[in-house]
Amino acid sequence: MPESPSVLAVQQLSRRFPGVLALDTVNFDILPGEVHALVGENGAGKSTLISILAGVLQPSAGQVLVDGRPVTFADPLSSQHAGISVIFQEFNLLPHLSVAENVFVTREPRRGPIIDWETMNRNTRHILQTLNLDIDPTTPVSDLAISQQQLVEIARALSVKARVIIMDEPTAALNEREVVRLLEIVRSLAASGVSVIYVSHRLTEVFSVADRITVFRDGRHIQTTRRTDTTEQQVVAAMVGRELVHLKRPSRTPSDIILETKDLVVDGGLVRNVSFSLRRGEVLALAGLMGSGCSELMEGLFGLRRITSGTVSLAGKPLWVQNPRAAIRTGIGLVPEDRKTAGLLPDLSVIQNLTIGALPRLLPSVPGILDLASERRATLNYQLQLNIRFSRPEQRISGLSGGNQQKVILARALAERCRVLLLAEPTRGVDVGAKAEIYTLIDQLVARGIAIILQTSELPELIRLADRCIVFVAGEPRGELSGNQVTQEAVMEVATGLSHQVAVQSKPMEITDAL
Amino acid sequence: MLSKRAVFALFRLSPVGLTLLVVGVVFTLLTPTFLTLNNLLNVCTSASVVAIVGLGMTLAIASGNFDLSVGSTAAFAGCITMSLVPQIGVMPAIVSGVLSGGLIGWVNGLIVTELRVPAFIATLGMLTIVRGAALIYTRGRDIYLFGKTEYKMLSSGMTPVLLALALAVLFSVLLGQTRFGRHILATGSNIISARRVGVRTSYVLWGVFAIVGATAALSGLILSAQVLTGNGRLATGLELSAIAVVVLGGTPLTGGKASIPGTLLGSLLVAVINNGLNLLNVSVFYQNVTLGLLLLGALTLEALAAHRTLNRATA
Repeated sequence: MPESPSVLAVQQLSRRFPGVLALDTVNFDILPGEVHALVGENGAGKSTLISILAGVLQPSAGQVLVDGRPVTFADPLSSQHAGISVIFQEFNLLPHLSVAENVFVTREPRRGPIIDWETMNRNTRHILQTLNLDIDPTTPVSDLAISQQQLVEIARALSVKARVIIMDEPTAALNEREVVRLLEIVRSLAASGVSVIYVSHRLTEVFSVADRITVFRDGRHIQTTRRTDTTEQQVVAAMVGRELVHLKRPSRTPSDIILETKDLVVDGGLVRNVSFSLRRGEVLALAGLMGSGCSELMEGLFGLRRITSGTVSLAGKPLWVQNPRAAIRTGIGLVPEDRKTAGLLPDLSVIQNLTIGALPRLLPSVPGILDLASERRATLNYQLQLNIRFSRPEQRISGLSGGNQQKVILARALAERCRVLLLAEPTRGVDVGAKAEIYTLIDQLVARGIAIILQTSELPELIRLADRCIVFVAGEPRGELSGNQVTQEAVMEVATGLSHQVAVQSKPMEITDAL
Repeated sequence: MLSKRAVFALFRLSPVGLTLLVVGVVFTLLTPTFLTLNNLLNVCTSASVVAIVGLGMTLAIASGNFDLSVGSTAAFAGCITMSLVPQIGVMPAIVSGVLSGGLIGWVNGLIVTELRVPAFIATLGMLTIVRGAALIYTRGRDIYLFGKTEYKMLSSGMTPVLLALALAVLFSVLLGQTRFGRHILATGSNIISARRVGVRTSYVLWGVFAIVGATAALSGLILSAQVLTGNGRLATGLELSAIAVVVLGGTPLTGGKASIPGTLLGSLLVAVINNGLNLLNVSVFYQNVTLGLLLLGALTLEALAAHRTLNRATA
């Protein structure tokens, strides 16, 4: 065996599942102190590789090498002993236990049989300091924000002296500022000699942090390049296997005003002073950092939060939306931010998920009885329109990929015949190919006269889709940008309180720090 | 003889159906009396009593809940009906009895949706309250019904079987082809998503619990008609058999899915096993053990299946 400098490597690794070859003779390696990004669409084999490295799955063929020596990870424990820590997208934390207990779980420092709390808390505080995290080690994990919980996971990895930390989509639930902070931590981990395998969809992050980038597609290794030797376009092309045509936002011609709000206050002041009008055939984005009130405003418009004062009118008529049911009836649809917890009906079929809000229209002459045939037809119709991929419409929706699930949720809103569509994070957890399709789809809907209010934490997405953008800071609109003014820099400037160039409010502004 | 592949296909299609077939063949071989018309009618009647409340329970479980108070409701409704028959006549008494069950169920629904008490606790509370109420109402004594033999109609001949089949058809249509049924499944699958698409989940749950209560009452009425006696201790433990037949039938306890034919087959399976063991003079105690083992077996199979799909999903 030639001397290999890599800490961890896999050679000719394959993993077969009944009917699928999830990994097909792939090679991958990581050097000490390197950040190696692993990218690929859903089903590319990333999760399978992680599971094998974590000792959760066994390879069907090929081998795993640690320090050049072949090893077998029969279970997660043996992988941990080899110095590998995996931070999964769904954290493995015990919510009711304290930060320190989570960091040292199963390895609690003891004096005899009694846990040495003092040492445990002190050591934890020490590790947290290296992560610039100022929290009390005795805080229960359930009291922490998602981003802090993630740092607790990293702290745990550091406490076991992990040599390789694998992060699976680490920024999925973080806001822009937290992402920046995480990337800094990743870089400092690498600087201290820890290797990081960074698995992500988000190429911007990948390009800002990785030393090398490996692309998987359909279970195969496509390419490994130094970050400096490649471009985002090349990586995307390798991921999807074709050049993606990146369309610009089409020029749109909004018609009459469909939705208007005046001096809206949501939930006793969480969001204040919201006045805007939305035209048919227009995309209005709500932008702002987390906690700026965008989500809350969307929820208010959909009847999930109370409108404390102010007015909303739809097509000129005053509107009083008390609950989602009323919103849907008046023609307001929502594609929720969190598809899994608030959108999907996981046990139900594609048909049933698609038509759930449109059932009254599917009742034939026999009163009360659903017309299953026309329900199926409607579903197949939307399948064509939205290019949704499933084998049978009777299939359970949980078996679809994220992108296709999202398309079904979009179709659901269309089946409700909504005139105003509230889109929250429309491409979260969706892979690059489906993302482009969803953008095109949104363009088509807008062209058909649907009005869209968009809320997204991805600025490139906002720029790609929105005709106008209202930027919120601390629950209040702080500026409005439209047309060519809508750029990432302009939005960030207003959102972070650096500038408030285009005032929507007549009253004087105070510069408040949002964070 | 069935080929191996056919057996496997039947198992995939309906594990409970295959088990029923096997158990049926075994008892036919072991006892001369099992496969006789009279005995089979007996089996079907006792299966029907559990099936009726089991069908209601199927809806509750599909909605992500369950109801532990059905045994008590059955007893309460049986006693009320018994005492009403001499005063208002057979049919009105039956209707009142079933309605009283529906009312108890609706109260369960209110406690769950309005007071936000989990169904397990809410219906456990109602189990003791309603049982107590039935005993208070009867002062702990039996209510006999002399002379009114029309009431016996409810439990004689094919009536229970026909009632169970009619309910099964009704509930199949309800779940498969009505908005209410779709809303039950949506609520059971993900209550937050269901609310967001405009499902009034509180109303759905009131309806579901009222239906469970009514089916429990109907089962109780049949039980009381069999002996023409109202007794506050009637149908003790019915809640467990009702949940058992639903689970045996393949309806998962996690909600969002339901199998009406499964519940019917599950009820038949339990009835066949109890009957066969009776014919073989096996003690009742062993029958309980058998039912428990069956349940564990069914749940293990379900867990294994879930584990397999999970393993595949990590691909």
